[in-house]
Amino acid sequence: MTLSFKTKDRHGYSVKFSPYLPDRFVCATSQYYGIAGRGTLFVFDILSSGIEPVKIYEWNDGLFDAAWSENNENVVVVGAGDGSLLVYDVTNPKGPLKAFKEHSKEVSSVDWSPTRAENFILTASWDSTINAIWSPRLPGCFATASGDKTLRVWDRRTPQPQCTIQAHEGEVLTCDWNKYDQNILYSGSVDCSIRGWDIRNYNKPLCEMTGHRFAVRRVKTSPFNGNTLASCSYDFTVRTWDVRQPHAMEITEHHTEFVYGLDFNLHRPGQIVDCGWDSLVHVYKPRVLLDGSLIGMVPNPLVVTTLVEA
Amino acid sequence: MERLNVIASHLSMSEKRGMATSEVAGSVKLFSFNPDDIVVVAALRTPIGKSRRGVFKDTHGDDLLSQAFNGVLKSVNIRPDEIGDICVGNVNDARASVTARFAQFFSGIPHTVPVSAVNRQCGSGLQAFMNIAGGIKNKAYPLGLAGGFEMMSKSGMGGKGFDDMNPRIMDVKEAKDSLIPMGLTSEIVAERYGVSREVQDRFSMDSHKKAAAATKNGHFKAEIIPVTVEVEDMEGNRRTITVTEDEGIRGNTTMEVLAKLKPAFKQGGTTTAGNSSQTSDGAAAVLVASREEAKRRGLPILGTLRAFAVVGVAPDEMGVGPAAAIPQALKMAGLTIDDIDVYEINEAFASQAAYCVRKLGIPSEKVNPKGRWVWYPCVWEQEWELLPSSNIILETYVLRDLINVYKHLNFE
Repeated sequence: MTLSFKTKDRHGYSVKFSPYLPDRFVCATSQYYGIAGRGTLFVFDILSSGIEPVKIYEWNDGLFDAAWSENNENVVVVGAGDGSLLVYDVTNPKGPLKAFKEHSKEVSSVDWSPTRAENFILTASWDSTINAIWSPRLPGCFATASGDKTLRVWDRRTPQPQCTIQAHEGEVLTCDWNKYDQNILYSGSVDCSIRGWDIRNYNKPLCEMTGHRFAVRRVKTSPFNGNTLASCSYDFTVRTWDVRQPHAMEITEHHTEFVYGLDFNLHRPGQIVDCGWDSLVHVYKPRVLLDGSLIGMVPNPLVVTTLVEA
Repeated sequence: MERLNVIASHLSMSEKRGMATSEVAGSVKLFSFNPDDIVVVAALRTPIGKSRRGVFKDTHGDDLLSQAFNGVLKSVNIRPDEIGDICVGNVNDARASVTARFAQFFSGIPHTVPVSAVNRQCGSGLQAFMNIAGGIKNKAYPLGLAGGFEMMSKSGMGGKGFDDMNPRIMDVKEAKDSLIPMGLTSEIVAERYGVSREVQDRFSMDSHKKAAAATKNGHFKAEIIPVTVEVEDMEGNRRTITVTEDEGIRGNTTMEVLAKLKPAFKQGGTTTAGNSSQTSDGAAAVLVASREEAKRRGLPILGTLRAFAVVGVAPDEMGVGPAAAIPQALKMAGLTIDDIDVYEINEAFASQAAYCVRKLGIPSEKVNPKGRWVWYPCVWEQEWELLPSSNIILETYVLRDLINVYKHLNFE
């Protein structure tokens, strides 16, 4: 069953489940498709009655990404169009606790280090880096996706990248680490493909997954299965993949505009939240993930079309 | 605008290059991207000053227009001698084309670049844009400059040119009606179409509030070039000031305050100083090119012209033009009222604007979201209209275009 919410006049850019509470997530949105205007951060709870906004915070510029703190269940950091990084406490009804002005351009990506003692926040901006994600397994290590068609792996103690992967034929918009193998990384690109990489030997990709008809906006690896991946795209779809086969397991068609935000629930196996420019936020489980036995080889993608009016 | 370009770059590739263009995505109108499309590559305006008492009361029109020319040229780094033609919209300047020529020379644009001026009343700036667009479409030149200015401190409404009229005008009803002052046409619209004083006041208050909020939130920053001018105070001392914001927005006005104002044009009427626009000074400029030329030069594409319509209306109800022209423009573009996200409509008088919005059935949140604070006189409309046409309406079109890239892959 799909639960939906419409963020009226606000267009979704990013969604993130809380690592602490299984039924809480945040959604970073922008007015006028993020081209101009304001931004709104929604904190949602999933209740039996549906998706309910718990807190709504306004900001003067578009909000493009959000990340939950790893050391405090109430803290969220948000990247804004004016280059600032906003720190919110969701128990505080007012605006951000703090606004750091670190970038001169739009902050397109934020990620909180999962290494508990560190509490480092990684931000990426539209100068050239698009997406930056901490390794869930190697402390101080992170990967970046950038406009120069490369994927790079960094150690925060060294200014040079540990490896530079000529990953795609177009801009790389997104990347995520395999949560079960510290050496494996996935990237999604404007060239419509998703590729898997082994950072020990990256002359050629481990795997390539095709089917998206336009740029892949975000890829996310499952916290429950090392072979499961989800992606969303400018082609209005969300696709669920098994990395061992080149085509999607399932194609979810329930948006009518670009799909920008996507995340897996860390507590509820198979549950996904997504958001897009049609202002719709959907929480659902792809059918192939409902039953563990379906995961794996499917001869053809299962196309699930649901048009939901929230 | 950079954000649009970033997203456009994300759509530059697709799974199958040159996919069939026959596919249809829902109700969204699909546009193709052609090399001969008319695109806007730069658009800027000066702040708006109140005429006679405002910041530009001691400034000349050519000075202000030249600031707008300089602004757009500098913003995209074009050599002035590469401009194919200049067209400027103006209503009240008796020698507008000469004023525009002065402005051109003040901006260092050489005499080999020609200039003309055009007057289509409130739509003069838009017409200047269309004249340049037409020149580009006809392959007369690949790049041109369209502008507009009004200096109501120096040349106000009416008056000149009406002292030696043909007496026959009085025998032809529509010719005679063309002499009705604008304020009275507003009264006619209000009466003929039942737009109450309260509706007008509320429209005006909302407009001022939207404009005040847009200013406060910095939404005009990207389109306004700060202008440094000399202004004389009450004691006759001249001082130099830099103007960065519009003058005349009454963000704190209330229905009570507006309700107290007396009718300005007719006893027992409903049009007041509060629900009519102020007279203003200001200028704007837009650099226009073919898509091919913009790409060749690596210029940013702020918007694409999709349709333009002109329709005449009866002279005794001046100002209802949008209600007649918008449906035609939409029809030409193959769009419906709902397909458009933002409408920028003339707000010379609240009566006329409110009538147009009601007649067309446009949801109020889509109407002039940055506000027009019912402030600018019909004659000022032209410069202002230019900016929305690139920044707002076209922005919306571009957004739609981007979405359409999904199906239409003529975009490189």
